[in-house]
Amino acid sequence: MKKFLLGPVGILIGLVVVLGLWVMSAYNGLVSLDQKALSQWAQVENVYQRRADLVPNLVETVKGAAAFEKDTFTAVTEARAKVGQVSLGGGANPAANPEAFAKFQQAQDGLSSALSRLLVVVEKYPELKATQNFRDLQVQLESTENRITVERMRFNEAAQAFNTKRMRFPTVIIANFLGTRYQEKAYFKAQAGAETAPKVQF
Amino acid sequence: MKSRIYFSTALAGLLLLALAAGVQAQSGTPIPAPPQRWLTDAAGMLSPQVAEQLDARLQAYEQSSGRQVVVYIGKTTGGIPIEDWGVKAFESWRVGRKGLDDGLVMFVMAEDHRVRIEVGYGLEGQVPDAVASRIINDEMVPRLQQGDSDGAVAAAVDRLLAVISGDSGATGGGQVPPPASPPLTWFQKILVGMAILGFLILLITNPSLALYLLFTILSGGRGGGGRGGFSGGGGRSGGGGASGSW
Repeated sequence: MKKFLLGPVGILIGLVVVLGLWVMSAYNGLVSLDQKALSQWAQVENVYQRRADLVPNLVETVKGAAAFEKDTFTAVTEARAKVGQVSLGGGANPAANPEAFAKFQQAQDGLSSALSRLLVVVEKYPELKATQNFRDLQVQLESTENRITVERMRFNEAAQAFNTKRMRFPTVIIANFLGTRYQEKAYFKAQAGAETAPKVQF
Repeated sequence: MKSRIYFSTALAGLLLLALAAGVQAQSGTPIPAPPQRWLTDAAGMLSPQVAEQLDARLQAYEQSSGRQVVVYIGKTTGGIPIEDWGVKAFESWRVGRKGLDDGLVMFVMAEDHRVRIEVGYGLEGQVPDAVASRIINDEMVPRLQQGDSDGAVAAAVDRLLAVISGDSGATGGGQVPPPASPPLTWFQKILVGMAILGFLILLITNPSLALYLLFTILSGGRGGGGRGGFSGGGGRSGGGGASGSW
């Protein structure tokens, strides 16, 4: 009995048990960080959806006062349609799929720039800017952009926590073993040219 | 090849971290420690009587409704947008109740001439962005421009409390239902049973220690909020609200 416990078989069994426990805890850690990033991703989609929902209202309001700016309206409407396709389509969760992520960000950035062009156009119509309806919409849009910044930042933090864990030495073996489900998460990057605020010229 | 990809992603992550750290280092005023009172006037903008009165009012409001409404008057954010500064401060002070996220902070930066109302997730229904903006632009800005900071902050608090407690049911868009504790699973039941058994054994072998433990556990549940100073309840915000300048 004593011989068996100390023998190579005993040591092997001990090693397997330790290894099993380690794999379990590493895997669970990975899963919980992944879930955090996914739920933060839901928040990101939420605030982007909030912006998309504002668009028709905004376009309608501006249309009434600035009927000549057809091109701008079309650009905004088209950008919004693209955003809708990206958000709903595919079933590939952008939080876990860098390709879908890039598409998502591209579409949202497209809407961002279309909207900022619309707001530049509006500067030409002071009587529109003075209406309470437009002012409320503008406030909502500004706050929504602010919410987007906040949730994107928090997603980046969650993604970073996951990626750090995932890429650390022993865990990386398990993560690779699990295939694409636990691949590294992409980060939101600042939009090209976003550091320069759109100029309003008269 | 693969390891090179890992290396470059790790490097990218590091760069991102460095960037974030750089932004933080460059961002002038660090977020102050959580305030001890409901109204903090670090810029000496208000008269002491008004500050005290408003503080007492906000304290009473939390005691009656559970909602944490906080006013913070500082000098400057040190060059970063008040929106970013505010959301960081809200995050670190954890204003509002955990799960309900029903906190609200009004930031006034005296030297920047900026105001920000940061609304917790759970109050976004009662205080939509447009309403927050109107409180700033209609109540505060005109008074602040005339140099009546007492009146501006008092009027804003007045309107905010009215709006928050007013029609909470009518526009509950952003309301989060209070977290209901789910029924215990059999595993949890066994755990609870074991804990009770362990306690009974301890009660027989060492009654004074058992009673001491019981007392600490029961009194540990309370504390925070309530009497004494302000302390954040674990609420969160996500950049909702409005800002303005005067």
